[in-house]
Amino acid sequence: MSKKLGKLALASTAAIALVATGCSKDNKEGAGETVTITHYTIDSPDRTFVEKLVPEFEKAHPNIKVKITKAPYEQFDSKLQSSIAAKNAPDVTSHWGYGGFMEYYNKGMLMDLTPYLGDFKASDYNIPEDVMNIYKVDGKTYGIPLNSYVTVMLYNKDMFDKAGLPYPPTDYEDKSWTFDKMVEYARKMTVDSKNLAEAQYGVDFGFGERDQRPQYFGANVYSDDTWTNGGKPSKVNLNEPAVIDAYKKIYGLIWDEKVSPTPAFSKSVSGQFGDPFLSGKIGMSVVGSWSLAAASDFSFNVGVAAVPQGPNPNVRSVLYVDPLFVLKDSKHPKEALEWIKFLIATEIQEKSIELSGGNPPVNQAAAEKYYSNFEGIAPEQLKQVFEGAYKYGFESYNHLISNYSQINELFINELASVENGDKKVEEVLPGIQEKLTKLLERVNKE
Amino acid sequence: MSDLSLATGEPPKRRRRKADMAQIIGFLILLAVTAAMIMPLWFMLSTSLKSTKEMLAYPPSFIPNRFEWGNFKELFANSELKFGQQYWNSLIVAGLTVVGTVLSSSFVAFGFARYRARLSPFLFMLLLSTLMLPYPAIMIPQFLLFTKLGLHDSLLPLILPNFFASAYMVFLLKQFFSSLPNEVYDAGRIDGCRELRLFWNLTLPLSGPVLATVAIFSFIWSWNDLLAPVLYLDSQENFTLPIGMAAMLSSKFRIAPWNLMMAASLLSVLPIVALFAVAQRRFVQGIVLTGIK
Repeated sequence: MSKKLGKLALASTAAIALVATGCSKDNKEGAGETVTITHYTIDSPDRTFVEKLVPEFEKAHPNIKVKITKAPYEQFDSKLQSSIAAKNAPDVTSHWGYGGFMEYYNKGMLMDLTPYLGDFKASDYNIPEDVMNIYKVDGKTYGIPLNSYVTVMLYNKDMFDKAGLPYPPTDYEDKSWTFDKMVEYARKMTVDSKNLAEAQYGVDFGFGERDQRPQYFGANVYSDDTWTNGGKPSKVNLNEPAVIDAYKKIYGLIWDEKVSPTPAFSKSVSGQFGDPFLSGKIGMSVVGSWSLAAASDFSFNVGVAAVPQGPNPNVRSVLYVDPLFVLKDSKHPKEALEWIKFLIATEIQEKSIELSGGNPPVNQAAAEKYYSNFEGIAPEQLKQVFEGAYKYGFESYNHLISNYSQINELFINELASVENGDKKVEEVLPGIQEKLTKLLERVNKE
Repeated sequence: MSDLSLATGEPPKRRRRKADMAQIIGFLILLAVTAAMIMPLWFMLSTSLKSTKEMLAYPPSFIPNRFEWGNFKELFANSELKFGQQYWNSLIVAGLTVVGTVLSSSFVAFGFARYRARLSPFLFMLLLSTLMLPYPAIMIPQFLLFTKLGLHDSLLPLILPNFFASAYMVFLLKQFFSSLPNEVYDAGRIDGCRELRLFWNLTLPLSGPVLATVAIFSFIWSWNDLLAPVLYLDSQENFTLPIGMAAMLSSKFRIAPWNLMMAASLLSVLPIVALFAVAQRRFVQGIVLTGIK
């Protein structure tokens, strides 16, 4: 190769590198002129639909530009943490990854919105006061609710018809619909077979995360002060008989009653992150109401019902109120708040239902539209289920407990052996008790 | 003659038969191992051509009942996925990474291999010690640097660092360059070559195998990298394949579209297979010569 050719190769490489990749942005913003705010979300259609709302917002707010950035669910937290560390944090986001509100709050990631709220009133946006209060700490507002999901029971009408069973009720006050009755129905629908083509199961009991599940049975994994001291449990109760019995009931559905699918079955019919209910091989599924969004994709008739009455008379549903936060490093909190207000306005919340495929609006004026959004599900029934769920609901632990992603990971890893049938609940819980106590001592000291 | 061959031919024939048996058994073992190796690839191909219904069916079929070529079309036609754009981005990043790594690392390695300075062993150790730094340790400072340079959300932060040599590749190349005979360089000097020409016209042409190895390694690492692209890239039009495929699995769809993902995986291994096919002879030679496995 001649010297000229070598130089040419080097020069053209550098040129190609610059041209092909391009310098990304030109974000020079004059003082008082257009500002750009960033809205960071997970790369899923029920979140990225906000891109379609941006033009309307920008038209109404010519001095604010909104940039939507996204990451896959699994990488959501790591990207957020790195960008905060690098002082390049987005302006608006939510706890869409593994971490929750209290984790963000205790890490000092969130901006106190109170000074910017001015004449903002939750009632103007038809947000119930108690829902608004979820993201207040010491009277200061750190998050504005956007969507409110509840736990519902979805059931496969075709499987019920085939088993000759009556559909479960939608009324939470119907006290004849109990956990035991659910198990009885589940038994009638279950075909516990090694042959995946034949196998089907009566119920998949996905009530909250693993550490919240005992709450349904009247047992509490964490001491009561957790809910008043900023999500830092002073005591873990995994060695108490009530908690042990609750876990025995939960995992007994898989291994004693054999009416619930094993993790292996769920993975084979729906993949690693999938919901086995979608395969049409599960009779009833206690699940977050986001699963309704896929109702039109179901290859069977689906119904919605109340979560049955369990041993705890007060808690039958886990509430997942998703807020929007403004991060502490935001340079444009006022503009970010304008964007948030835009997203919770009645008209936009109504529009979002359709664009997202069925996100439940926090704005109760838009809720009526939400109830009539699902083909094959009667609006009045869905409304009844949601109202009952709100009445008997408890906010999801992942929003309330500090350092939740680490805690949740511990539960997932340690309980895997019980879920897979390798160990008994009694063998595993003492280990989790010890590890969790140490973990909490460490993280809550920091 | 024939009698003689008959008389003496018996034992060799038996030996040959024995040898034949050993060969057959060896062949059968190889066949079984090959089948085991090919099985996942076969399933990838087979699943990529299945319909959603067949993809979920149990027991899974080896050969799809109907070939759904539409899966491949869907990847490119679905505007939500932006697969074609992501493929192109990955090609740009990996291609330029190869160019950058090969050029810069070989340049640095040449210096270490051919010149003696008082501090060069120390500098080389210093360079090698950077191998012990995991990426997360330099992630945030590097991120800050590129953000300050205004290069955030562009492909440049994924490419530029490769134009400043990789310690591992420098080590690999230095080992090879050191083994080149001094006589070649002496001859070059007698013919009037200056140092740069010794590098460009003598060293590089003689180092095909190791350069192929470096090219393949750096291409594969860049092609598969997920963490750095997730960190730097915000807009979907800038995403690389690993981000797009991670989203397909974890959040983009409610039912993980294994058929689409297998079609995407199949297409995503093509450049690596093509590169390997082109550079195979030299690559194997490079592994032998550098002792790297």
